[in-house]
Amino acid sequence: MARVSQSIKYRGKVVAFPLENPAENDIPDEELHEHLAKPSTERTRKLKARCRWKHASAGEFCEKGVRAGIERMRLITEAHKASNGKPEVIRRALGLKNILDKCTVVLQQDEFIIGYHAEDPNMFPLYPELAYMAVQDYNISSYAPQPVEESKDIANYWIPFSMQSRAGKYFDPIDLGRMYNVSTMEAPGFATGYNSVVPPYETVLEDGLLKRIEMAEANIANAKKEMAKSPWDATKGLDWIDKIDNWEAMVIACKAVISWARRHARLCRIVAENFETDPKRKEELLEIADINYRVPAEPCKGLKDAFQAKWYTYLICHAIDRYASGYAHKEDKLLLPYYKISVQDKSFQPMTYLDAVEMVEMERLKISEHGAGKSRAYREIFPGSNDLFIFTLGGLNRDGSDGCNDMTDAILEATRNIRTTEPSMVFRWAPEGREKTKRLVFECIRDGLGFPSIKHDKIGTEQMKYYAQFSKNNNGATDEEAHDWANVLCMSPGLVGRRKTQKTRSEGGGSIFPAKILEVTLTNGYDWSYTDMQMGPETGYAENFKTFEQLWDALKKQYAYAMDLVIRAKDVCRYFESRILQAPFTSAIDDGCMELGIDANSLTEQPNGWHNPITTVVAANSLVAIKKLIYDEKKYTMKQLLEALKANWEGYEEMQKDFKNAPKWGNDDDYADKIIKDFYEDIIGGVMSKIVNYSGGPVLPVGQAVGLYMEIGSRTGPTPDGRFGGEAADDGGISPYMGTDKKGPTAVLRSVGKVQKNQKANLLNQRLSLPIMRSKHGFDIWHAYMKTWHDLNIDHVQFNVVSTAEMKAAQKEPEKHQDLIVRVAGFSARFVDIPTYGQNTIIARNEQEFGAEDLEFMNVNL
Amino acid sequence: MSTCEHCGFFFLTPKDADDYEAGKGDCVRPKKDEKGQYWLSKPTFGPNEACPEFHKK
Repeated sequence: MARVSQSIKYRGKVVAFPLENPAENDIPDEELHEHLAKPSTERTRKLKARCRWKHASAGEFCEKGVRAGIERMRLITEAHKASNGKPEVIRRALGLKNILDKCTVVLQQDEFIIGYHAEDPNMFPLYPELAYMAVQDYNISSYAPQPVEESKDIANYWIPFSMQSRAGKYFDPIDLGRMYNVSTMEAPGFATGYNSVVPPYETVLEDGLLKRIEMAEANIANAKKEMAKSPWDATKGLDWIDKIDNWEAMVIACKAVISWARRHARLCRIVAENFETDPKRKEELLEIADINYRVPAEPCKGLKDAFQAKWYTYLICHAIDRYASGYAHKEDKLLLPYYKISVQDKSFQPMTYLDAVEMVEMERLKISEHGAGKSRAYREIFPGSNDLFIFTLGGLNRDGSDGCNDMTDAILEATRNIRTTEPSMVFRWAPEGREKTKRLVFECIRDGLGFPSIKHDKIGTEQMKYYAQFSKNNNGATDEEAHDWANVLCMSPGLVGRRKTQKTRSEGGGSIFPAKILEVTLTNGYDWSYTDMQMGPETGYAENFKTFEQLWDALKKQYAYAMDLVIRAKDVCRYFESRILQAPFTSAIDDGCMELGIDANSLTEQPNGWHNPITTVVAANSLVAIKKLIYDEKKYTMKQLLEALKANWEGYEEMQKDFKNAPKWGNDDDYADKIIKDFYEDIIGGVMSKIVNYSGGPVLPVGQAVGLYMEIGSRTGPTPDGRFGGEAADDGGISPYMGTDKKGPTAVLRSVGKVQKNQKANLLNQRLSLPIMRSKHGFDIWHAYMKTWHDLNIDHVQFNVVSTAEMKAAQKEPEKHQDLIVRVAGFSARFVDIPTYGQNTIIARNEQEFGAEDLEFMNVNL
Repeated sequence: MSTCEHCGFFFLTPKDADDYEAGKGDCVRPKKDEKGQYWLSKPTFGPNEACPEFHKK
């Protein structure tokens, strides 16, 4: 039987919570999620059943047969050797051309959106030019590309050409050694190759690549004319050389992409005419052939075109030219013009609303089987996922009107129906947003998908305006353009559109780990529990700190040291990316790069320097406990605390209980919240905001967690919040520590709402009562909660709606729970694909009930 | 010696294709595994020595 929430007394009456769908009364809690998937067509049901998932758990791929391909690395290496002596940007374009001209193209049964990025749909490509160490990592695994000896040779070939070899020498080896330990800060991007990008999809769909080629060729012709002007002026004339090279590279890249897409068209035709026996599929293959001949060469004319052109653009920018995590775009706005043509006007590729829903379901399944050649470390920190894929919906349009439309609804409906963990999505919450769409948002959340995660529309728009003022070429987002934003990855907002989008992860995503930094601060910068190394400057031993302020200052210095290093590594990485890892295709589809003849990695118009403090709340709760028990109440000395920590609390159980019971974040406790607010505003955001990055803007915190709350938790010793060494840390940038938010959901909101200065992009994870969300009052309560959240000016929130009973049942019999989805951090995962350590952190999160006080605070009418 | 051009999986590139080259074609091979059927297409040249999957026209 399903669990039904108990009745409560509210505003003088008894409110009962019967399930909205009475049929669910007969479904046991232990299997609810297995009853929720409803693929809208037989085709998507089949595609989901045969989906080639690439999820990884604890660094291992969950499905058999998944492995790295060798084709891409072979072809990029062949091109690199053959292009020696040419300008680097041309070499990059020729590298892409060689891959696209010679690679294997793939067509799978039943699919309509086609295209893959490796030589077999069970494989994924590797990128030795980005990170040879990642290839070395695969070479010693059971997923090694074959023949492995060739793969080893390729990895070795790239060592002297790598960003790591070039950038590393500008750093003190001691600093680099600290970074490679990934305990106080992340490893440098020039070693990991981890990246994210926001492709300007709009130009591909609106212009088509033939038009982009024409534009580049016209620019080259004009440049040559300018260079030939008399009298010769070298101060201006020589600038054209780089520009001409960039435009030529763009032409090479665009032509290669067109030719590659048309190879797919030819494959469809060949299969239709020579292999396919089903007349209906044969006809469909010929239609797909027609679409793939026209796009992305030509502008899209209908919704099918748009899905296909978008997919190709994604593959090139995220998976073939170079690796980049993410799926950043504002999908409803991008597709709406084509939805209108196909669904409303029916003037090209006519279809019904349900056909559009099916298209979205098919797109979700393409993403679900997309493989990313990430190193083991990056597979471990996204447990249960294949990679991070996040797009954005909703919000307001440029003119302030509601950005929700029928395409938004089709996307949400498909997402609810097909029930896949990828791609995740963000919904920009604006009071003006229509209720019809918000109800679909609710249904996705209620059904346990963990997304959409919700971002505050106005805060995001203001952030775009704020960053625009630092634009190095005075061409940041206009007030109108500031409305066109989407999450770049889990949390940080960034512009979308025809130009000014984020092109590389040097602009954001540097991870720093405050809990570990606090740990080493207590011991003069020395890490006794994990690395046995000096991990930062010598800032004194905590037992000598006479005041809490001395500890605060030492922590601030340690944090500043790590933060400077992380951002310096990012910017040095960017410096070399713009010289040896140019992205001519991405440049070709960006209006700014096209106009100015500058590579996408080099040009910056809109700063977007969001970086990730992860494990902040463990550090924050620890500071509260230290202040209360050592400096205010003087119940213990710092020396005693350090002894207890060194013993991992063993023999100090009473003391641990006191530290564990000290006030915790998320309970609207003024004592704790004052310290924690100062910690966020003075240290976490305050130190960051003094830094100026490559793009000329300050960097700001986008506190989140991914799976690093587990990874770094395991590397962080016992902490003064009462936590044992090795236990997971907090699962979001501003989320209460698991199980410690005990005063109800609105107390959490009140705490979080107190942090306002220097930041507004912190992840808030909440787990809401499943029986209340599935009751007849579920939407009204959630909607009131969201209004309260909005009024408190909080930037983000996301939800788990899943029962402990079902998660525990899945731990016992995983094979029966393939559709059980949970929100981990900035991504969702199939519960059974997460290692037990991670599963237990989800179970430990407090399932928030709504009491009468919460309902009153939210002013909900029931 | 068998060559690609005599293989049933070889399809000559049309003269109006972007990637046309004399003798070039697509090697289109059907594949099947527990997840279903798929096709792989890779460029090759007619006179090339055929691979072990040669399938006479």
